[in-house]
Amino acid sequence: MIKYLLIFLLITSSLKAQTIVGMVTDEDDQPLPSATVLIKGTTMYELTDAYGKFTIDTQGRSEYLVVSFVGYSQDTLKITPGKFMRIKLNSEVKLEEVVIESDKSFVDPGVVRVNEVMLESELLKAACCNLSESFETNASVDVSYADAVTGTRQIKMLGLDGKYVYMLREDIPMIRGLVATNGLTFVPGTWLQTIDVGKGAGPVVNGYESLTGQINLTFKGPETKEKLYLNAYVNAMSRTELNANYVADLSDKVSTAFLVHGNLLTADMDRNDDGFMDIPKGRQFNIMNRYKIKGERVVQQIGFQIMHDERIGGQVGFGFNEDPTTSSLYGLTLGSKRYELFGKTGVLFPEKPYRGLGFTYTGSINERRDVIGRNHYEGIERSFYLNSIYQGILGNTFHKYRLGASLLLDNYEESLNDSTFQRNEVVPGGYLEYSFSGPHAWSFVAGVRGDYHNLYGLIITPRFHLQYGFTDESAIRFSFGKGTRVPNVIAENTTLLASSRRFVVQEEILPEESWNIGGSLTHSFEVGGKPLALVADYFYTDFINQLVVDRDQNVNEVNFYNLDGRSFANSFQFEAKYEIIKSFTAKAAYKFYEVKTTYQGFGLRDAPFIPRDRFFVNLEYATYFDKWIFDWTGQWYGNQRIPDTDQNQEEFRVATSSETYFVMNAQVTRSFRWGSIYLGGENLLDYRQNDPIIDPQNPFGNNFDATLVWGPVAGRAVYAGVRYKLNKPN
Amino acid sequence: MKNIIAILVFLTIGGTAYSQKKDTVRIKTSSICEMCKRAIEGDLAFEKGVTYSNLDLETSVVTVVYKPKATNPDIIRTRLTKIGYDADSLKAIPEAVDKLPECCKPNNPFHKKKEDHDDH
Repeated sequence: MIKYLLIFLLITSSLKAQTIVGMVTDEDDQPLPSATVLIKGTTMYELTDAYGKFTIDTQGRSEYLVVSFVGYSQDTLKITPGKFMRIKLNSEVKLEEVVIESDKSFVDPGVVRVNEVMLESELLKAACCNLSESFETNASVDVSYADAVTGTRQIKMLGLDGKYVYMLREDIPMIRGLVATNGLTFVPGTWLQTIDVGKGAGPVVNGYESLTGQINLTFKGPETKEKLYLNAYVNAMSRTELNANYVADLSDKVSTAFLVHGNLLTADMDRNDDGFMDIPKGRQFNIMNRYKIKGERVVQQIGFQIMHDERIGGQVGFGFNEDPTTSSLYGLTLGSKRYELFGKTGVLFPEKPYRGLGFTYTGSINERRDVIGRNHYEGIERSFYLNSIYQGILGNTFHKYRLGASLLLDNYEESLNDSTFQRNEVVPGGYLEYSFSGPHAWSFVAGVRGDYHNLYGLIITPRFHLQYGFTDESAIRFSFGKGTRVPNVIAENTTLLASSRRFVVQEEILPEESWNIGGSLTHSFEVGGKPLALVADYFYTDFINQLVVDRDQNVNEVNFYNLDGRSFANSFQFEAKYEIIKSFTAKAAYKFYEVKTTYQGFGLRDAPFIPRDRFFVNLEYATYFDKWIFDWTGQWYGNQRIPDTDQNQEEFRVATSSETYFVMNAQVTRSFRWGSIYLGGENLLDYRQNDPIIDPQNPFGNNFDATLVWGPVAGRAVYAGVRYKLNKPN
Repeated sequence: MKNIIAILVFLTIGGTAYSQKKDTVRIKTSSICEMCKRAIEGDLAFEKGVTYSNLDLETSVVTVVYKPKATNPDIIRTRLTKIGYDADSLKAIPEAVDKLPECCKPNNPFHKKKEDHDDH
């Protein structure tokens, strides 16, 4: 043994004072100046010169060079002594294609933020239906039920409502403002390419609105590999969905994608016999058309979306086109329309590839008309957003910066019954972000933005992210930052109108503001020859101001007021992922939430409808090349606090705490050369909250309340579907 | 309950498939790179009667395990020519070769250049 070691040492020492000369180019043999050439396992590096050439002395420290450059995939190469090394880097787009075929969801090691990327193959595991359901197989984002009549599902992150998560489509703000709570249902699942879930403070580049996290969606577009993609879905509740995506090259430079979606549910489903539909009927038509225009120096993307959605619910028998305010039945109609034009323009600097200039913009009109029982809400938001991003380097590519300016215009006109509200927001802002990512184990991003809000004055938003990699397999991430958002008191809470409660807005509601601090530890090591990946994260969100939605102080009111005291959320999550036997992967997570808010007359108490403990398990078995995929998800929910009902007469009171329950979903997919078929079921154990509505016999009486919902109202839903795809020729 | 039964049915079908008699054939192909390996194995995974395939890039020989009741080596060879590769004495279909990824096409200069550096 020692003999071999000696021989090894002799060989390595003979490599000493080894000078390596080479050149770094892109795929088209164009030299890449200022690329980093690092001796593996050391902090010694050189940068390439203006002609992409480099000279480096390895001093026998390693036999490998790590070559990297912004926008290109990193390459590790074995040194060929005495030879001129030609190193070709591939642009990063190719790297993604490779990644897509490996893991279905993963932590991106190159990202300093606490993140998880869900790829299309992961999204296919929950075939139904839109973005609000896409997170069924993901532990970081929770999906909850809003109430017993509107069927609205909402997401939560770090124990707090989805409205505190900043939703973006390809770095352009998307689901916010008037549609912050229901906008997820306007994004069909088949339109999505990837979902990037970022927990904690987000980057300053996109705005100040992220309080608990940021979710960035990548939609399918002209670059999607399928030329044609068709999907049909039907479930046992007679919900049907049709999706069609079509991609075409219009010329060498212009390509386009059409994404079309329609869904329909016309049957009255009342399986718990309370006289109310368990899920609303509805219909939606949704189309997006986007273009990519490639020029010599300018790449443009532009697209538009048109969406009409209508949900009809309430008592069985209430139909489409009826008016709930005059009907003898308790009914509700939720109507939404959305028109959006969005785009991106990128200016390239071929001679300096690390430099970039980009503009993103979106203009949209969102209309809502929610009539719930005798309550009538209408809202219209006209919104425009423009952001500019300039990125460059300081000296070399270890030091990068981004800076830019943005403008947000938002006009709201709303009415609830006899009251009308109007708000006009003009928010110019600017930001600066510096990131360091050098040859060291650590990297960080520090940014600050300042926005001047015409109604609320200056908003300063600092954010900081740090990553330290102990080894290739383990890393610690830390972040802190501030977030601010202007709440839309009525629009965000219309589902609470499905009750005898009256809305009482006690005072002028100020912007919600919070600090978020937290971090994660990722570690992966081999157990029985296979990697076991562990992720633990902890986040603390502390509100400076919050819109308190108080359903406790009066059973016939919802009180809205500014936070007076403390409000915070502690969130802890531990997740493990392991391939138990070949092709059989298990993912398990435990989550702990402590969410407390100061309520008038009570002081600090638990926020309602948040389980303190949750377990999550996902099992997947896939045969060779995913010919068969079996997928199973189980979730256990701990006790949740239910708002006080002790002011009601005894027969109309409900428990102060929910039951614990377990929900499981499963899906089987069989793939073919042409596509796939799938069969699945949600809530297979048919768990349902008993009597989700208080006094359903008297919906116009003083005790009616359909909003105290902590579990599934609709039971098991078996579904089946088919996907057809036609790949582009290579 | 319905879907649990369906899952069980699927599992049973899968189980019986495994218990059938299987044969193995080795076919020499014109494949050249990692992309070809994916293209061939990925396609054969969905070929009727094929339960396993593995392409050895050193020798360009693909080993295919199949159910003789469902298919035979000639059908598999014909399939390989439709993917765009020569299979033993059968020549690849030219239209299929045109559709191959750039790096999989025979005589692609990329493969010669690649030897310049030892990719790790």
